Amino acid sequence: MQDEPVISWKVAGAMVGLLLILATALVKPLGVSTQYVVTDAVLLHSAAPALAESNEYLSQYGDKEDWGVGYGWMLVVGMFIGGGISAFITRRFRSREKASLPSMWRSEFGESTPKRMLHAFVGGGLLLFGARLAGGCTSGHIISGISQLTIGSFIFGIAVFASAIFTARSLYRGRLAS
Amino acid sequence: MKLIIGLSIGIAFGAVLQLGGASSYRKIMGSLLLKDLDIIKLILMAIAVGTVGIYALDLVDMANMSIKPTYVAGIVIAGLIFGVGFAVAGYCPGTCVVAAAEGKTDAMMTVLGGLAGALLYALLYPAFSGLIGVTNYGQITFASALGVDGIWIAIPFSAILLILMFKVLKDRYD
Repeated sequence: MQDEPVISWKVAGAMVGLLLILATALVKPLGVSTQYVVTDAVLLHSAAPALAESNEYLSQYGDKEDWGVGYGWMLVVGMFIGGGISAFITRRFRSREKASLPSMWRSEFGESTPKRMLHAFVGGGLLLFGARLAGGCTSGHIISGISQLTIGSFIFGIAVFASAIFTARSLYRGRLAS
Repeated sequence: MKLIIGLSIGIAFGAVLQLGGASSYRKIMGSLLLKDLDIIKLILMAIAVGTVGIYALDLVDMANMSIKPTYVAGIVIAGLIFGVGFAVAGYCPGTCVVAAAEGKTDAMMTVLGGLAGALLYALLYPAFSGLIGVTNYGQITFASALGVDGIWIAIPFSAILLILMFKVLKDRYD
């Protein structure tokens, strides 16, 4: 199957752990979700500087790098480049046809591309709203935070998986029943 | 220099996530449906390696840690919202970036939704910032709470994770 991982969870997990150690030694632990705010801040600042600077939350992140980008943002750009290169080399890059519809989704929800796009967009909105309220996401809280033994990160991880497992089971009721 | 370090670590991180199947909708949903636990085990392995490594660095004062504050009420609500988004999108904020790089258009929509969600949070921040003030215990870790060097918690904690990964968690294929 085109989707089958190239390396096992053991190797991939250990490598993520080593990258986390390297990042912590050189700069700071891994984190992704802050960079969505930084991107919003930079974009809004270039369009309407006064509006961006008047927002308390955006200016917290915007001022730090003088409304530009820093280490964390380059990390996320790197993830995009690295993911693209390895997908290309291992021939897992998706052609445009049906690129938006995972086969597992199709078997449960049908062939509607707009429906999948809506779920993907709304899901993304909930992810980042939650991540910003918590102060981190899967990388910043669950992987980096728990690795630093942060108590709040354990709490976040438990809440996330309880909610995600419940939601996934509700979405795929049909598949689970059959 | 920091920009180049960030870019380099990011490239490796993105490639590893892609190669490990963490940018796959099917693999992520398989874990959330508790049928195929690879992604959960990948995360646990990263934590098992990371915890011991970070607290080993800490012994020689080389760990640039970043401890997030523990505000219990806000974090629980945030986690519940995040979890719904995780299952509905089938990606998380990092894996959707990697999946978008693979040409998956649904993941590109998740990135756009994420930018919208972060902006919405920025606009509503005055209403939610109070939630961060209540039940806030500050930058607390199991090491600081128990008053011991983190490595003495990290080693048994990682050992428990390894037992979980290799002995307890089993896939339940249909």
